[in-house]
Amino acid sequence: MVTIDEALVPGTDDRFARKRRKRNGKSATALIAQRAAGPVALLLAWWIVSATGLISERILPTPVAVFEAGANLIGNGELATHLLASAQRAGTGLFFGVIVGVLLALVTGLSRVGERLIDPNLQMLRAMPILALMPLAIVWLGIGETMKVSLVALGVMFPIYLNTHAAIRGADARFLDLAATAGLNKLQLIRHVTIPGALPGFFTGLRFSVAIAWLVLVVAEQTNATSGIGYLMTRARGLSQIDVIMVGLLVYAVLGLASDALVRIIERKVLSWRLTR
Amino acid sequence: MATDTVTPTPHATGKPTEARHATAETASRTTVKVRALSREFDGRGVLHDINFDIRDGEFVALLGRSGSGKSTLLRILARLDDEYTGTVQAPKRPAVAFQDSRLLPWKKVLANVMLGLPTRGVDGTETRARAEEMLAEVGLTDHAKAWPKTLSGGEAQRASLARALVRRPELLLMDEPFGALDALTRLRMHQLLRTLRQRHRPALLLVTHDIDEAILLADRVLVLTDGVLSLDLDIPFPVVGRRRRPGFTELRDRLLEELGVADDDR
Repeated sequence: MVTIDEALVPGTDDRFARKRRKRNGKSATALIAQRAAGPVALLLAWWIVSATGLISERILPTPVAVFEAGANLIGNGELATHLLASAQRAGTGLFFGVIVGVLLALVTGLSRVGERLIDPNLQMLRAMPILALMPLAIVWLGIGETMKVSLVALGVMFPIYLNTHAAIRGADARFLDLAATAGLNKLQLIRHVTIPGALPGFFTGLRFSVAIAWLVLVVAEQTNATSGIGYLMTRARGLSQIDVIMVGLLVYAVLGLASDALVRIIERKVLSWRLTR
Repeated sequence: MATDTVTPTPHATGKPTEARHATAETASRTTVKVRALSREFDGRGVLHDINFDIRDGEFVALLGRSGSGKSTLLRILARLDDEYTGTVQAPKRPAVAFQDSRLLPWKKVLANVMLGLPTRGVDGTETRARAEEMLAEVGLTDHAKAWPKTLSGGEAQRASLARALVRRPELLLMDEPFGALDALTRLRMHQLLRTLRQRHRPALLLVTHDIDEAILLADRVLVLTDGVLSLDLDIPFPVVGRRRRPGFTELRDRLLEELGVADDDR
């Protein structure tokens, strides 16, 4: 039987993908080559239109120019500095956002009173686009680190809260019966049944959260920042350094992919029980 | 036997309690005593005036077609449902083996067996040893560290049995535990259940829709028809070799008839 949790978790899809791959009888390398073909073709097209002058280099620099700008930023240590600043903000925001989200989900998930008191407020806040809160955040918290990290934390909190809350509330009634017949007390029930059962939902939320952390950060760093990838790009815009802007975009893409992969790896380790077949 | 006269109980006295009334005229000691038990779901009667006992160590099979109220009765005895009227006396914490093995997928087999056991010995070594012993009894020693999802249906049910019996229950309730198994595995599970019963001697209620299973394993068969106990029958056979006893087929036919099914092969 497929529970709602299982259906929600992206990891589950991989299993089917693997099966399908085997059925087609194609080797892994052939499939990787196929998947890489699209991006490679795109890169080639970019090169052709920019190198032939079809599109002006002031609008679209060649891949080589972007590569050189990137190498330059790495060489003078600027990229590392800004990357570290961004990663610190994202990490701190993620840390606090996850803690607050999980705590709220536990309160609303385990207590009906808590749910009635807190959940409507959060559902209402959720309807607001997080970035629209920026002017208010600046007035309240200033333009420093606190504002940026708080916005990230707030953005991160919602997916964590919503998914973990839903997972706790959607706990399998069969396991609750089992816990009752095994004589588990409330604490044991939470420890042995509720929390492990809600972990898949938590990880779904975490993957959304990581993506949102970067998204909020990009915007927050473009306002009144003196460090970070967002700042690097804003500064480049002022100097019309399109190649640097593009380096920034690439860095964001890599960061997004890498952090998502990291969460998946952790998820696979923690939820190893569900992937064994 | 066991169809004692009903002592009228004042209904609607709020939540049922342990000993709302006590009539101690039965000769042997009873583990379960059910009197005037009724249960409704939204005004629709599911169980009507059920009365029966289960003696210490007795193996009772409860037969019935689907929707006859078997599982409702089991849930009441398991204390998963207390919205009934009438009197139910049963051990405080009966063990339950469900139709699906219901192993927690995020705990390894041994941890599943240890679920809810009080921790004894240094760092729970005693508890652990007991659970390991129980796993050995059901032949799952090699799977102690396996994830439940890697077990076959029969193995999962054996683990479920180990978890139920590890607490040395006075009463073991089984809700069609072999229903989802293939015929060969089911036969092996029957054998295992006989052995475990000899060793642990709990009073046993087996809910099933398999007539052969009931006759082969139980001391007594109850039939539930539309929420009423329509038959209460002792099985007059010794423990082994039942299939070859004269009278087996007649008993089988009798039960089939009670369940409202005609055997084509007669």
